[in-house]
Amino acid sequence: MPDTVQFAPARVLVVGATGFIGHRLVQALAREPSLLPVAASRRAVPIAGIEAVACDATDPAAMTRALAGIDLAVNCVAGNDAAMVTATRVLCDAARRSGLRRLVHLSSMAVYGDATGLVDERTPATPPLSGYGAAKQETERLVREWEQDGGRAAILRPGCVYGPGSEQWTGRIARLLRAGRLGDLGPDGDGVCNLTFIDDLVAAIITCLTRDEAVGETFNIAMADPPDWNAYLVRFARALGATPINRLSGRQLRLESKLAAPALKLAAIGTRVARLSVRMPDAITPSLAGLMRQDIRLDVNKAAHLLGLGETSLDWGIAASVRWVDGKRGGNTADTLMETRAS
Amino acid sequence: MIGDARRIVRDTVLTAEICVIGGGAAGITLALALRNSGLRVLLLESGGLQEHAPTQALYEGEVEDELLHSPTDKYRQRRFGGSTTIWGGRCVPFDPIDFDARPWIPNSGWPIAYDTVARWYPAANELVEAGAFDYDARTARNGGMQPMIEGFAPQEFDVDRIERFSCPTDFAGRYRHRLERAESIRVLLHANVTKLQAARDGGRISHAEVRTLDGGQFRVQADQFVVATGGLETPRLLLASNDVHADGIGNAHDLLGRTYMCHVAGTLGTLRLNDAKVWHGYDRAEDGTYCRRRIALTEEAQHAHGLGNLVFRLHHPRIPDPAHRTGALSAIYLAKHLISYEYGKRLTGDGPTNARTWLRHVGNLVTDPFGAADFLTHWVRHRTLAARKFPSVIIRPRANLFSLDFHGEQVPLPESRVHLAAATDPFGMPRIRVDWRYSPLDVRTVATGFALLRQEVAESGIGSLSLDPHEADIEAMVRRDGAYGGHHIGTARMGDSEATGVVDGNGRVFGVNNLFLAGSAIFPTSSQANPTLTIVALALRLAAHLQSRATTPVDLTTRPATLVESGA
Ligand SMILES: Cc1cc2nc3c(=O)[nH]c(=O)nc-3n(C[C@H](O)[C@H](O)[C@H](O)COP(=O)(O)OP(=O)(O)OC[C@H]3O[C@@H](n4cnc5c(N)ncnc54)[C@H](O)[C@@H]3O)c2cc1C
Repeated sequence: MPDTVQFAPARVLVVGATGFIGHRLVQALAREPSLLPVAASRRAVPIAGIEAVACDATDPAAMTRALAGIDLAVNCVAGNDAAMVTATRVLCDAARRSGLRRLVHLSSMAVYGDATGLVDERTPATPPLSGYGAAKQETERLVREWEQDGGRAAILRPGCVYGPGSEQWTGRIARLLRAGRLGDLGPDGDGVCNLTFIDDLVAAIITCLTRDEAVGETFNIAMADPPDWNAYLVRFARALGATPINRLSGRQLRLESKLAAPALKLAAIGTRVARLSVRMPDAITPSLAGLMRQDIRLDVNKAAHLLGLGETSLDWGIAASVRWVDGKRGGNTADTLMETRAS
Repeated sequence: MIGDARRIVRDTVLTAEICVIGGGAAGITLALALRNSGLRVLLLESGGLQEHAPTQALYEGEVEDELLHSPTDKYRQRRFGGSTTIWGGRCVPFDPIDFDARPWIPNSGWPIAYDTVARWYPAANELVEAGAFDYDARTARNGGMQPMIEGFAPQEFDVDRIERFSCPTDFAGRYRHRLERAESIRVLLHANVTKLQAARDGGRISHAEVRTLDGGQFRVQADQFVVATGGLETPRLLLASNDVHADGIGNAHDLLGRTYMCHVAGTLGTLRLNDAKVWHGYDRAEDGTYCRRRIALTEEAQHAHGLGNLVFRLHHPRIPDPAHRTGALSAIYLAKHLISYEYGKRLTGDGPTNARTWLRHVGNLVTDPFGAADFLTHWVRHRTLAARKFPSVIIRPRANLFSLDFHGEQVPLPESRVHLAAATDPFGMPRIRVDWRYSPLDVRTVATGFALLRQEVAESGIGSLSLDPHEADIEAMVRRDGAYGGHHIGTARMGDSEATGVVDGNGRVFGVNNLFLAGSAIFPTSSQANPTLTIVALALRLAAHLQSRATTPVDLTTRPATLVESGA
């Protein structure tokens, strides 16, 4: 009998509940009759009708408290690389002494490093790995170690998670498109754009929480037939009305990633030191420029076959993205200032 | 992957399933389209990544009338990317009428229907990077493009047809890394194919002979060969491969190298507009492509008056004539020595520059310095520095006078031809000799087209269209610019049968089971349209055909051409 069929709904701890993915997940969980979300974040932020706990994910005692009475957990912790690794270690350790029955851990396609071609879950990483990729790899190792000790987990490796709430792949890209700093990139945008629509990722997480086939497995979660970056940028720009779309030369892009990005980074540090609340322009970092050239395609067959996961069409995803971006421009600036990070 | 033929061990025999000869728009398109087909493709390209004078010199040849046709090593580039390394990027699809057998045009009619090519236009448009396949001014841009001449709605012309512009995309620069990454594709640079060796019975090609300028030589054996070396070099290679087929491969009916067409083109007339609002520049579609309206002779008018296909564009006055009094135009004239041969050619006036003309241009510059300065700033920003380039010089003439650029079909004329010269290149391959001719019908298309437009302008009351006295002889005007450079068409035409064509509707050479041609050489007629978009569309179609052929049992592929039409 599947372990989720029971009388009381299972209590699901979402670690990192105020982040982009965690936030959307908590709301979706609240709509599931058999699941009851518990939103964990550093400061307990009340979300209407949802139980919240304050929990610094890097604090073992706090984590142990948060796990009391919890059946299932999802690790959506973001933050700097070291904190992400620490939080995962703390979570797994605390789970050794709690009654946690299952963990869904969010990793990233960044664990494949510079791999190219069709990449399935068994494909080894191709160096070099970004700091983020190496950190995600370490978190996966910690989760697997916990599994060897008797824990039960599923690991998800999404691509670029876009859609409402995604600062990184929707908000930032929209601003760069509107500023004419991104557009059609020619040869520099020929890489595969492994998009994961936020709600598809949320659906995958919920499926992994409830389906036994997911336990012990790792899944790529992305579009089966992804566009290239140029196509994503051009379609998104058209939907945003950021037209006519600029064609950027390799020279412009190199200036952005080699000169502007480091300068913006320095400026960002400067404003933080000076405690200025200035919104710095987005940077096109070398890693973003590299990603847009990378010919890596996530093989999502396993998720489709084992879990029966489908996907949202790009048109729908982009339309939802545009509504979110436009809504945000309309007022609610709190979201805009949310911390972003590059992969 | 991309390699260097100069590293191939002498006398090696390389093998592939498909051997593509020539890495220009057509060859690169084929390789890209076959990249995931599972077929091993070897692309042999004469040039390297840069221009190289000794390689370019392999294009040298002879020209019958140097006033009518440019030297054969101009207006084409022998290097990876071919002539797309210097092309202008103007993209226009052919019109349905171009495919029809038109009783008033001898040798017209394609063996394939418009739709079989049109299916491939959207993908071709994407490859040439000219945005969406939409050539209608009313829909190419949200809300439609601005009218060219407000209130001008002629009967015999369509003013809603447009041209769109590629970046202009250099196929090698743009797609090189895709080819580098494709494991089933091998591109060899510096590989000159000097001969196609036919098997003893002539029914198939057994191998291609390859030479390098540093003395290397090797062979390539393949199941299928595609020659994509451009409209002049394709007949040269086939004519020069004349040991088994004494008159050259595919030349049993003396069609190879004949019906050589370019376009007739030039600038003509003076359009004086009363006070109608005029927009003769570019609009940008949402996808960023530059779009421009044209004045296209309708299919009905071509039928009614027995003319070839023709378009006009609203143009600034002819640059060499200082009467335009426009500083920017004079600046271009005075800087013509800085402009490449291909783009500077039409800046040459009707005779050598005399001091008087020169002084009048300087005068224009002095009296209109701001016009020239504005133009230069715009040009540097949107052309020199831009990745998607502003396509051409657009200058609002000071006096509200425009002229008309015409670009007309040249009809297939067997006497207009390319053949082998006695002289040879360093590989011992005969050079080409070009004998380009035009037909009285070509002149009549321009003259009647102009007269029709003049009448419509007069009737509409928007102004008047006239010819300068020295322009009265339209034939002289057509001759002035001669064969429009860079479009080399019809030298290995498609036909229903061996009697009317060198290749069949799929591009396969009649009588040779495994030899295909790609490029404008196979177009039976030239249309008003520039050729490259259609070259790319046909190359995509050929790739699909080759792929289906490679997976079809051999006996099927020897059936008549109509039966093996790939459904494309
Ligand atoms: C100045 C200029 C402006 C133009 N503007 C336009 C325009 O605006 N719009 C338009 O539609 N078209 C334009 N064109 C035409 C356009 O460039 C050609 O139609 C197009 O490049 C043809 O592609 P192709 O692949 O058939 O031939 P090519 O581009 O000529 O490529 C042939 C390739 O074959 C290689 N080759 C030749 N011989 C051999 C051999 N023996 N062995 C191996 N390799 C060989 C060459 O090096 C070359 O790379 C222009 C051309 C010029 C010159």
